[in-house]
Formats: sequence, C-alpha cells, structure tokens
Amino acid sequence: MKLAGNDMLIQSLVDEGVEFLFGYPGGAALHIYDAIFNQNELQHILVRHEQGATHAADGYARATGKPGVVLVTSGPGATNAITGIATAFMDSIPMVVLSGQVASHLIGTDAFQETDMIGISRPIVKHSFSIESAEEIPRVIKEAFHIATSGRPGPVVIDIPKDTTAPDKLFNYDPPKSVKIRSYNPPVEPDPKQIERAISEILKAKKPVIYAGGGAINSNASEELYELNELLNFPVTNTLMGLGVYPASKKRFMGMLGMHGTYQSNMAMHNADLIIAIGARFDDRITNTPDLFAPNAKIIHFDVDQSSVSKIIEANIAVFGQVKNSLREINKQLKEKINLIDKSKIEPWLDQIDEWTSLHGLNHELYKETSDNNMIMPQSVVQHVYQITNGSAFVTSDVGQHQMFAAQYYHFDKPRYWINSGGLGTMGFGLPAAMGVKLAYPDEEVVCITGEGSIQMCIQELSTCTQYNLPIKIININNEALGMVKQWQDMSYGGRHSESTYQSSLPNFIELVESYGHVGFKIEKNSDLKETLEEAFSINDKLVFVDVYVDPSEHVYPMLVAPNGSLKDMWLSKDKKV
Amino acid sequence: MMQRKILVILENKPGALARVVGLFHQRGYNIESLHVDPVKDVENYKEIEDSLDLKLQENEVSKLLITTTVSDNLLRQILRQINKLIDVLIAKEEI
Repeated sequence: MKLAGNDMLIQSLVDEGVEFLFGYPGGAALHIYDAIFNQNELQHILVRHEQGATHAADGYARATGKPGVVLVTSGPGATNAITGIATAFMDSIPMVVLSGQVASHLIGTDAFQETDMIGISRPIVKHSFSIESAEEIPRVIKEAFHIATSGRPGPVVIDIPKDTTAPDKLFNYDPPKSVKIRSYNPPVEPDPKQIERAISEILKAKKPVIYAGGGAINSNASEELYELNELLNFPVTNTLMGLGVYPASKKRFMGMLGMHGTYQSNMAMHNADLIIAIGARFDDRITNTPDLFAPNAKIIHFDVDQSSVSKIIEANIAVFGQVKNSLREINKQLKEKINLIDKSKIEPWLDQIDEWTSLHGLNHELYKETSDNNMIMPQSVVQHVYQITNGSAFVTSDVGQHQMFAAQYYHFDKPRYWINSGGLGTMGFGLPAAMGVKLAYPDEEVVCITGEGSIQMCIQELSTCTQYNLPIKIININNEALGMVKQWQDMSYGGRHSESTYQSSLPNFIELVESYGHVGFKIEKNSDLKETLEEAFSINDKLVFVDVYVDPSEHVYPMLVAPNGSLKDMWLSKDKKV
Repeated sequence: MMQRKILVILENKPGALARVVGLFHQRGYNIESLHVDPVKDVENYKEIEDSLDLKLQENEVSKLLITTTVSDNLLRQILRQINKLIDVLIAKEEI
C-alpha cells in the first residue's frame, strides 16, 4: 500500500487501535487534518482548547487503560497542551501527543507559530520523538505507543514537521510488526527470591498494612491484590490515585491515607510493623515528614519503576516488576505456605484499627440532614450522589475541597472509576476528563464532581459536550471561593483570604449551561437536595449541571499537621488536634 | 558527600544528551564537569555489550562522563533516573 505521510500517520493510529483523537487544528497540522477528513475509522473530537484535548484523552486512558491520543498544531497549540501532558506524566497515564511543527527548513528560524515543543515538554514526558522524514512515521508511532503503555506508563510527544506529512509524496506503508528498543527494557517478572524474602516478613508481621496506589491500577492488578488479601486479611489503605483498586466496601478497607486520609488509615500506617507498598510512591502528601514516617515499619515495595523505590522512604525489600505479575507470584508462593499463615496473630491489630475507626472515623451519614436551619454540607452532596448512583458511576473531579470530599465519601469498589489529577493537582481537569470517559463508555453514568473555581478553568468544553452530545452530570459544589486555598488561609494565615473569593463575580451557571443547550439545576437548601439531585440524575439524554450552594466555611478533615508532623498528627476539626 | 564520576552510554541521537543534562537540573543535582564523545573504540566496550546482549557499531553511541558531588543514596537515585531515560543504554559509577 502506497500512502502519503499524513495518511501513514492516521493509518498507523488506526492500526494501533485508536478510536478517538482529541485535537484542535492549525496551520502546521493541516495536512494531517486533511487525512482525518478522508477516513472514517477513527473519530476526531474537536475540543475548545488544547488543554481540554489532553485531559479528555487522559480521562479516556484512565477509564479504559488504553492510551489517550491528542493532536495539536505547533506553537500555541503545543504549549496549550503542556498542562495536560504534565498531568498525565505525574499520574503515569499512557498518552501519545502528536504536535504539528513548522516545516523542517523553517525550524530554528523563529517561524510563525514555531516553538521548541521537544524542549518545552522534555521534563514532563516519558519520551519524545521528532519526525525527520515521512518514512519513519509508522515506526515512530509504533515505538511511541509501546513506550507510552509499557513499564511505568506515561505521555510521549511526537513532533511532526509539516513537510513530513505532505500529501504529494507517496511511500510504501509497511509498519513494523513488533517493537524492540534496545535501550528500553522495563522489568516485567519479579525476582522470586525477593518474593520469598517478602513472604518471610509477611508471616512475621503483627501490625501489617497494605498500602496500594495508582501503579496497581495501571498494572491492572486489582484481582491479584484482592486474592492476596483473601489469603492475608490485612488492613488495606489506598492512595488518592489508588482508590478502587481494593473494594471500598470490604471490611478491611480503611479508606484513603495521607494529607486528608482517614484517621484509622494514618494511625495504622504510623504504628505499623510492616508496610506493603504496591504501586505507590511515598509522595509528600502521604509521608508527611519523611523522617517521622512509620518509625517501626519494615517496608516491602512493589513497583515497576526502580527510581520510585527508596527515593523518599528506604525499602527493606524491593520487588521490581509489573505489579500484576509480582502479586501473582506472591499469591502462588503464599498458597504453597498457606499453613504458615496465622491470621490470629494480627487480630489485636485489627481490633485496634476498628477502635480507631469508631473513635474518629468519617461520618458517612451527613446526608440525613434535611433541616434548612443549616446550610448544605459539601460532604452530604457527595454522599447523596453516591447513593443515587449506587456507587457505580465513573466520577471525575477537579482539584480542591470537592476533590477530597469526593475521595473520602464516594466509595469505589472497582478500579478506573475514580478519575482525578492526583500528582499535578490540575484544576480544569474534571470536565474534559469526563468527556473522554463518556466517549469510551456512552452507556455508563459519568459524574464530574467539581467546584465553581475549577469548572471555570475549562468551562469552554461545555460547547464540545453539545457538539458530540455527551450527557455528563456535573455537580458543582459551589462555596463561592477557592475552598482549599481559603482553608489553608484560615489555618495558617490568620484567616486572611488573599485573592481566594470571587466577590459576586460568578456567572449564573444555570443560564450559562442553558445557552449551550444543556440542563441546569440550582440547589440552595437541604430540604431540596435529595429530590433535585434525583431529578437531575433521571435525565440521561442531556448534559445536566447541578449548582449546589454549600456552607463556605466548611473545611476538609482529617488534615495532617505540617510542617514537622508525622502521620499520627492530624487536625480532626477546626478546634481538635491529635 | 564526595565527588563521583558517572559514566553514561547513550544512543548518539539528537536530543539524547539534553535529556541527561536536563535531568540533573530537574531533579536538583549539580553537574561539575561534563565530557561527551562518540564511541569509536567499540572493542573496549565488550563488558557493556555482553551485559546488554548487543553489538555496538562505531559512532552509534556516545560516551558521557559527568562528575558531581553527592551522597551514596543520591548517587543510586541519580543512576536509576538516568537509566530510566529511553535513549540511555547504561549509566553507572566510574570508579
């Protein structure tokens, strides 16, 4: 088959199984867009800003496990994509970003819409390619998808000078069947000896904790983790990125840990004698002060990325490999030693955790408040959404208080249903991410839990939702302020709310969404909350935006005491510190 | 903290060197000296060829020597970070 560069590019994507291409056209990408026009195997989704394209591709990738693909033009198109690429990089999300570039002979001349995309994106990509000639397009696409999806996944940028996609030169289209990059060999299978060592620690432990993160989801290790804990019955905590990898409804699940983790999770980690870290990276929102972290715990660390192990917290036993394969191996070896597992040994520890839970666990019954004497609690909104959707919706979020409330009060029983920007903390992520999820799963309920600050950072995508008829539910937890910023200002800056409130400048969200053809509801009273949310969720053919006014003075608790605190040092309310 | 020499063998491709150098700044490490050459004397790299199970061609890879002053733990972390770069064949301490 003879194809031009632009057609080879699209055909290569189709051969990789790409369904959706999220993008925005412009001069340097026009040959490619012409190739898109002439085919119907993949669908292009025209966003309203390139940041939206990257987040939509990211949401698609997180929900499906398949790489998200983005196409932008050179210059501002490419730089607008940067925030979304960095978001995917921090959370290890597979993504391939195709950026148009000025023609080869113009590179380095400060040509119109020229920018050094390879240079700008270098610190936030797993790898990048610059196309030098049309012939190499099929190979580079193949390598890019391989790199993006294998090992520790991440975004890959391909910069494509306009001349390499010219429609007038034809080439023999013969993509490589397989990929071998000699300098890239991420570990897959674990060293069985390390697994043996891990098991000997596991059998000795009296106060163990399983701490699982986003890496376990990336590796699709949820079933293996479940099986492991059917053997061990250890208490489990998940990071913000790991929610859903172990079912929240299981008795041994303690909730999220870290900065806004549950009391029992943080106490269990601090007092543990063994921490089994699975695809988690001990970031600063988890450890609090590293020197004070879990002083009596041995650490077993399962990860595919060697540079994530002993980076912050020294691991006693490191197991490198795909987490799924490593857990499979440990389950196999544990089953052979099943008679050595003494579950009674950890019973006092499990009792201790239950006691912590009953002492200061989260209140999951705030939704019962119906009195209009009190303002709506933001937590109660999430609890209602959880009940109305039977806990089975895909939930995307933005960044701030609403994100933490969603993480604390929506209980995820399955991986890939909780979709948020954990590492970079990108406001504006929620709506475009929800678009990517809804495109992948049109028959599933997709809810974006957001705030009036975050939603305005990518609100232009409401127009994209109209164009492609994406009936997402947007729950806008409206406290008329940047809630998390304000909370920090309350706690650490004497209540001085520097630039964190909007002074009556917010739009009428209902009229705004209606102007795009969507449906809007406004809720201001507890007595209306349940009924109006139910009405909103009964509409399935249109995007529904629910603007819920909540108590603006509410804070997220627990909250770790910082600086110089450990995991056991928490604020439990505005006036209670432990 | 002591001065260390790091040897990096990487693909001789445009942009490969920038990834290694950029990583030092990104991760907050300082480069004290840096020397880079295309590898011509491939016969002297038998050990690396064997450990990676490949055959090197003349000028196909570059040899990078970096000196930096770091602790043992940080050196291990730097080496792991460099080894993670896709274009890097091997990074190790040169003793």
